[in-house]
Amino acid sequence: MLADSVSGFIGRGPDLARVRKLRDDPREHDPAIWKQMADLGWLGILVPERYGGLGLGLAEMAIVARGLARALAPEPLTACAVLAASVLVEGENGELKTVELPKLVAGDTLVALAWQENAGVFDPAAIHCRAAPFEGGYKLSGTKRFVSGSAQADAFLVSAGIENELALLWVPRATAGATVALEPLADGRSFGTLTLNDALVPKSRVVTAGAPASAALALALDHGAAIAGAELLGVMDRALEMSLEYLRTRVQFGKPIGSFQALQHRAVDLHIHRELASAVLDETLGALDRRPDPGRRAALASRLKARCADAALKITREAIQLHGAIGFTDEYDAGLYLKRALTLAAWLGGASWHRRRYARLTLG
Amino acid sequence: MTDYNAMGDEDFRREIRGFFEREYPPHLRYILQRARWPEVKDWWRKLYEKGWIAPNWPREWGGMALDAGKMVIYLEELERHGCTRPPDQGITQVGPLIMRFGTQAQKDHYLPRTLSGEYIWCQGYSEPNAGSDLASLQTSAVIEGDYFVVNGQKIWTSLADDATHCYLLVRTDKQAKKQRGISFLLVGLKTPGITIRPIRNLAGHEEFCEVFYDKVRIPRDALVGELNDGWTVAKALLGYERLGIGSPRRPQYALRRLESVARAKGLFEDPGFADRFTALKLDIEDGATLYGRFVEQVKRGEPLGHDVSMLKIWTMETWQRLTELLVEIGAEEGVMTGVREIGGVETDFLSPFYYARPATIYGGSSEIQRNVIAKYVLDLPSG
Repeated sequence: MLADSVSGFIGRGPDLARVRKLRDDPREHDPAIWKQMADLGWLGILVPERYGGLGLGLAEMAIVARGLARALAPEPLTACAVLAASVLVEGENGELKTVELPKLVAGDTLVALAWQENAGVFDPAAIHCRAAPFEGGYKLSGTKRFVSGSAQADAFLVSAGIENELALLWVPRATAGATVALEPLADGRSFGTLTLNDALVPKSRVVTAGAPASAALALALDHGAAIAGAELLGVMDRALEMSLEYLRTRVQFGKPIGSFQALQHRAVDLHIHRELASAVLDETLGALDRRPDPGRRAALASRLKARCADAALKITREAIQLHGAIGFTDEYDAGLYLKRALTLAAWLGGASWHRRRYARLTLG
Repeated sequence: MTDYNAMGDEDFRREIRGFFEREYPPHLRYILQRARWPEVKDWWRKLYEKGWIAPNWPREWGGMALDAGKMVIYLEELERHGCTRPPDQGITQVGPLIMRFGTQAQKDHYLPRTLSGEYIWCQGYSEPNAGSDLASLQTSAVIEGDYFVVNGQKIWTSLADDATHCYLLVRTDKQAKKQRGISFLLVGLKTPGITIRPIRNLAGHEEFCEVFYDKVRIPRDALVGELNDGWTVAKALLGYERLGIGSPRRPQYALRRLESVARAKGLFEDPGFADRFTALKLDIEDGATLYGRFVEQVKRGEPLGHDVSMLKIWTMETWQRLTELLVEIGAEEGVMTGVREIGGVETDFLSPFYYARPATIYGGSSEIQRNVIAKYVLDLPSG
């Protein structure tokens, strides 16, 4: 059912004219499309029904994410409906959940997770951002970087140290002392840098603190990496399809180039990489939806992200080569897939980082 | 007789695991070359007496009649315990083909003798000029009265010198187009005019042979299926062979050795090595996940498509890369023959490397498997 509604939404051919129009546009995505996605229930897939969501799992979210990524939709589904939504759901602030989750699900409030501070550093505890007690609330200072979904975010979930503990705080974009600067990404979207200068946060806006905050953030990041894997699969699906279509129809030396064995064998290898990634996606998401312990969860997410990042980069790079010079032009679509693969592969940890973590978790 | 399919999966697994653990000769666990008949005939006998030598055969012919799901468990347990493969082509290939295409007389004669191990089979398909292009085979059989007279040469016949019989593809119509004029014969290897010459391989073993046929007279009732229709017979079991051959358990020995040796040498301290190792380990694990997908398909009773070729490509090529890394980390000791001891870990570096080499050649080379996927799965045009 979800698969049908996703393919109905995307239509027969992905609307890449829309994607091109939004490239490097500071708005990044189309609010009308975002609202339609909300109306279809997609923003609430991981949110329990009592907060207006569908109460489904990662397997369902992956169907939507894979389908949208196939069309290179720039809407920040994973950033908002996986990362931010998971932190809110896992958090302990009942009032915030009751008020904000239904708005997130309805597409009225776009929330982004601002947790990372340094490139290539994915330890949620390795942060300098601090929340100092102030008049019954907190004064928040620090810099958060690489925040996906920043362009139109209405609020941020910010990780910060309160004394020696990690906490996550709800910070509306309009908060005094909070500024957002956008930095362009290869695929025409952007990462935000959120600078906080004594931004005031009332106590009631602490989502979670201490061990539960670390646990909620770790879960959100693993689930986010897993759904980024699903997005990478959507990118692979279409990039491979385009390459195969080209091999079947492009004629040189009087024959379709897809009849040349050298190219056939390369295409087969790409197919194998996609099938491997797809099999790993199904298996790991099934396992993640059974809510394993954090160590196993992290290993599963890393296994998936490592496989999908490498496979998507290989398939999209080869898509350029198989197309020849036309593949290197901006007007041809193959490059759009390579650029999305690049940004998704690096986001939330690249393949080698995830392999290192997997090794740490499984080799003992 | 026990209906194994009526047993729960876990009960069945426990029962066969217990038997393998009790009865399988310990010195033959995880051996790195094909076992010879004199080494494994006692094990064959034990399985035969237990009624377990032919898990895939129907009960009327003495098999276990396992359904696909139980069959997978049976194979998994064999592999898990490191049981070697006996010369089992009579069970996996010839038996099922005779049941499907053979006459009643052929079934009555060959099936019981194959089951008991009285008849051991080898495969006579490849020829010096018919390897990947098997259908161009030239060994001929001409009908003279009640006999076929066979002339020609077969090659890469594994363990022919252990076998008593050979199943043979021969050309019976030179005018017909390639695949059309081929027939499938059953041949006793004691028949006059047959000469077997073992070939030493890179590992120094004599696993495969050349078999020469010089005016060999074979009774006409040794024909299986219709005259000139042998290609259909030979092709009947291909898909399942590729599933078995792509099993992710094959590279397990090399992976375990690699991990133990690397630990003994402290190589995991080197981030470069750790990344290569983890990438390979994940290649095996992810391949196992892909394998699981095809196994589920078999369990649901669905036929396997040409896509299954990708398992053989991936598993075998990954296996080779593993054995290459094993030799590399062995350094000077990695290129010394026999078992070496490093930090208390006993390892034969070269045997896994040699053993993995032909894996991308036999059973349809990696290149042929890629051709198959390109044509039938990716729908790419023919040259």
